[in-house]
Amino acid sequence: MALADELCALQAETLAGIEAAADTAALDQVRISVLGKSGSLTAYLRNMGQVPKEQRAEVGKTLNEVRQAIEQALEARKNTLATAELEAAIDAAAVDVTLPGRSQQMGTRHLINRITDEISEVFLGLGYSVATGPEVETDYYNFEALNAPADHPSRSMQDTFYVHDLSGDASTVRGESDVLLRTQTSGVQVHAMEDQEPPIYVIAPGKVYRRDVADPSHLPQFTQIEGLVVDKGITFGDLKGTLDFFCKQMFGPDRKTRFRAHYFPFTEPSAEVDVSCGICHGEGCRFCKGTGWLEILGCGMVDSNVLRYSGIDPEVYSGFAFGVGVERVACLKYNVPDLRMLLEGDMRFLRQF
Amino acid sequence: MKVSLNWLSEYVEVPNDVKAFCDKLDLTGTGVEGVETLGEAFENIVVGEVVSCDDHPDSDHLHVLSVNVGEDEPLQIVCGAPNAAADKKVVVAKIGAVLPGDFSIKKSKLRGVTSCGMCCSERELGLSGNHEGIWILPEDAPVGMPLSHYISNTDTVLDLEITPNRPDCLSMVGMAREVGAMYQHDYTSPLVKMAERMAEFEQGADVSDLVSVDVVDFDRCPRYTARVVDNVKIGPSPAWLAERVTAAGARSINNVVDVTNYIMFLFGQPLHAFDYDKLMEKDGRVRIVVRPAQDGEEFTTLDGEERVLTSDMTVIATPERAIALAGVMGGLETEVTDETTSVLLEAAAFSRAHTSRTSRNLGLISESSMRYERGVDDVPVELISQAACALLAEVSGGTVRPGVVDVHDALTMPIDLEFRIDRFCAMMGADIPKDFIVDILKRLGCEVASTQDSNVLAVVAPTFRPDLEREIDLYEEVLRLWGMDRVEATLPGGRGRFGVRSAEEHALEKINATLRASGLNETMTYSFAEPTELDHLRMNKDDLGQAVELLNPLNAEQSVMRQSIIPGLLRSVAYNQSRGVSNIQLYETGKVFFAHEGKKKPKERMRVAGVMAGAMTDPGWNVESAQFDFFDGKGVVENIARELALPKVRFKALEANEAPHLQPGRAAQVLSGGTVLGWVGELHPLSVRNFDIQGPVVAFELDFDALGKALRPARDYKDVPVFPAVAIDVAFVVDEGISHEKLVQCMSSAGGKLLDDVQLFDVYRDEERVGKNKKSMAYALTYRAPDRTLTGEEVDKTHERLVKKVCAALGAEVRG
Repeated sequence: MALADELCALQAETLAGIEAAADTAALDQVRISVLGKSGSLTAYLRNMGQVPKEQRAEVGKTLNEVRQAIEQALEARKNTLATAELEAAIDAAAVDVTLPGRSQQMGTRHLINRITDEISEVFLGLGYSVATGPEVETDYYNFEALNAPADHPSRSMQDTFYVHDLSGDASTVRGESDVLLRTQTSGVQVHAMEDQEPPIYVIAPGKVYRRDVADPSHLPQFTQIEGLVVDKGITFGDLKGTLDFFCKQMFGPDRKTRFRAHYFPFTEPSAEVDVSCGICHGEGCRFCKGTGWLEILGCGMVDSNVLRYSGIDPEVYSGFAFGVGVERVACLKYNVPDLRMLLEGDMRFLRQF
Repeated sequence: MKVSLNWLSEYVEVPNDVKAFCDKLDLTGTGVEGVETLGEAFENIVVGEVVSCDDHPDSDHLHVLSVNVGEDEPLQIVCGAPNAAADKKVVVAKIGAVLPGDFSIKKSKLRGVTSCGMCCSERELGLSGNHEGIWILPEDAPVGMPLSHYISNTDTVLDLEITPNRPDCLSMVGMAREVGAMYQHDYTSPLVKMAERMAEFEQGADVSDLVSVDVVDFDRCPRYTARVVDNVKIGPSPAWLAERVTAAGARSINNVVDVTNYIMFLFGQPLHAFDYDKLMEKDGRVRIVVRPAQDGEEFTTLDGEERVLTSDMTVIATPERAIALAGVMGGLETEVTDETTSVLLEAAAFSRAHTSRTSRNLGLISESSMRYERGVDDVPVELISQAACALLAEVSGGTVRPGVVDVHDALTMPIDLEFRIDRFCAMMGADIPKDFIVDILKRLGCEVASTQDSNVLAVVAPTFRPDLEREIDLYEEVLRLWGMDRVEATLPGGRGRFGVRSAEEHALEKINATLRASGLNETMTYSFAEPTELDHLRMNKDDLGQAVELLNPLNAEQSVMRQSIIPGLLRSVAYNQSRGVSNIQLYETGKVFFAHEGKKKPKERMRVAGVMAGAMTDPGWNVESAQFDFFDGKGVVENIARELALPKVRFKALEANEAPHLQPGRAAQVLSGGTVLGWVGELHPLSVRNFDIQGPVVAFELDFDALGKALRPARDYKDVPVFPAVAIDVAFVVDEGISHEKLVQCMSSAGGKLLDDVQLFDVYRDEERVGKNKKSMAYALTYRAPDRTLTGEEVDKTHERLVKKVCAALGAEVRG
């Protein structure tokens, strides 16, 4: 058979083989058998030397044509196969995207501290600093410096836990003591006024204690955020505006506030603040006991005695103070049905927030 | 305080719209805690007369009554009250009546006898707390009259929260004055008219011939008055009187006691009626001494309780014995009884502080003590005593001795105050007109006069308002009655300011964020603790000082303040486990408390504590789950150390005696340089068992103050490596006793500057292949120079030297 015929047959055979290759590995086999070191076409190329001189140009040209045809076919087939194989691999790798993700467990912030953070942010934004104070206080900082001297009837407003006084001082009343668990964070006010010159803008979050048996709506230990402003020209209107802003930040821009005159020994004038009920919007419903309002905090203008106790001249400065019960906010904002859940550490409760 | 609107409207106009009235009270400072409408619920309840009262044939305490209710036939009613008797006027709930508490009256059989109604006590009618038998009405009560008519139709009673600064509002007249100011209406006080009537009843010798009063200490008793009413006939009160005192929340007892209560509710002046004959000495005279009690003096109060007194308490006494506890309660022995014919009436003023302490020391709060500790005006005492005697004589058929024994020191003087109108308006942030200010102050009982300065008012505060001592006190009065809601809301101006958190707050926030990122859930537990809980935990108490003890704990389990957060967290672990939750990761930051002898205040330390039990999660479809062990706790602490950039953090093994609450061999002290930060470890199985928990429990407790001191605000920058590193793995077989820390130290010193990093990647134990009590520790070492590419030769040399040194120093062998 003439060399040209042989090459033609080889080309046809190889192209058929390429077409038949089912995957890239089979294709590679075909390539090796034809173009590899001992491949059939390679053998012809290697034997070019034995081709008579006068035929050499002709044969060489044919050989090149065959090689190019085969290489092109190989390349084309390779692309086709690779595309198909990638598609197959992608198909095979598909997952059910509704299966759970793989993640590290993130811990959670306690609801009360979460709310405390929220409230702190509001007041940090208004230019207040955050202060803290001791939980075991002397009578002076919890009552006396707050204008509730010994035997003052306002003391009965809060049932106090008294602490065994190891200094040897004795109390005039059996079962009471000069040392106590603070019933309000207001003591931090006094520390702040003693330690700083006005203007003073502080909030003081912290635990407070009152002798109430734990039940769905009472805890003997709860959290309060006290706010204090002392500056020149502070008005009752400023107190209203500040707390109105706070309530709108916490509960939503459509909520209203209402100030009811009240009495606290350390502020005068004093008020309790209600926020309009978020469920009935003031119409009256079961949640707000038909009043349309929810009590949220106590506040007032800092009593001039309190200022004077801390060495601040009430003729020059005025100020306001307020106290928010964080648990109260938790109830109003998150509908926590039983305050005791806040102290049980139930994982199923904690991980909700 | 309970305020009957019928009664109140005798002195001031009361709005018809009760809801609006209550809102106004609320907004102006008098909280409305309850609204009760009397009378309207009394359908089918009528006045009846017991015709006959026979014993129940089948019971030793039930009676079978025949009661005439003004119908054709009397009703047969079975009744268990001991005071049921023939001819008594009673209140009958007929079939169909509904008593408070949705208790409807039906025809029924009691031990075989038919009962067609019920005789009611005051409590069953919701009128008072009186449940000592059924309510016996006065003899003149008309049979068949509906009860709502009999008790003068309907009445609304408000339960008001009177704040401690307003003793004047603990009286009907005071409330009338307040309501008058609220609406700018006039009110009237009946005091002068009532007092003037005493003359009508005067008879006999002057009271000073019979009674003398000696007040030992005017600080305790600024004023004491005594009068005597003779020829008293003790009996039930007339209906109007019983109704008034009942509406005010007292129980109708008899005409004399009811008058004293009536006057107290009306004017806020507590009174006490003694049985004169029981005070009388042999010469017929009564000598009263108001003196300090003796320490240990015993005294039986009206309620039958024997009290032991202290010298801080004040007693009313005869020369022989105490007869009343000043301002708080009378004595049982001298109380008015049905046999009493002569009454000595005390009207006095007692010290607020002494009354408050006496009341608290004895745990005895009365209507009287409540008023005295808030302040009873000593000025009108004598006039009120006159009014009381007149009424007493009137309702008991008695006569009043002329005159009075009235002992007092200087009486309270009204206080002169300034009211600077511009300062007031500036401070409130509201323009409140002068006319309004003047009118309100006058209505509240102040005298108001102009001064040369039109901007300043001269105000005299009334003596019945002890809370009006300063100018600011007047501001509050005007503002609350003008309406706080009318003040425009503004924000403080000023020169601008910025809010900052303290360094501690920032550190705490970092710790919180790190613990949460480590998968722990923040919780809060009680600061209260059980005194034995540290023993249960087996924690060493040597360095913890004394527990802070509460004088009045709620219960024994919460009688001290905690010295460690761990027990509280363990209670939460138990809580979770008992509810089927086994994967628990909790942490808390909070105070612990340590008392020291001789120190008033305890030390408070902020702690960061966590407990981990079970695993982080249950095994999932593509995640494995591993039970927590020591290294999970340690990892959390390492995270904190990293985030706070704590320098030179070390974990030192704790011996069994150093930390008995931890499992030996799985316990470490956490140090930063020489500072102890706390501990981490697996709790001892015995500790865990004491808290009814399934172990193991990994725990840590770090001192926040120590962390705060050790932390660095930022880490230093180190150049990111530019030249390639060479990694070589090596496994050393060492004795069990050789720690990882030791090996690392040894490698670091042997590797010198070129040793860039050491990572442990395997610990392998096998008696045959590695040897008994031996372990193979495999490390990935990284060699690198900061300034050049290391040559193979350099690395080989350094590594060889390192291996040689480690083997020599620690008796290690390289595992092939």
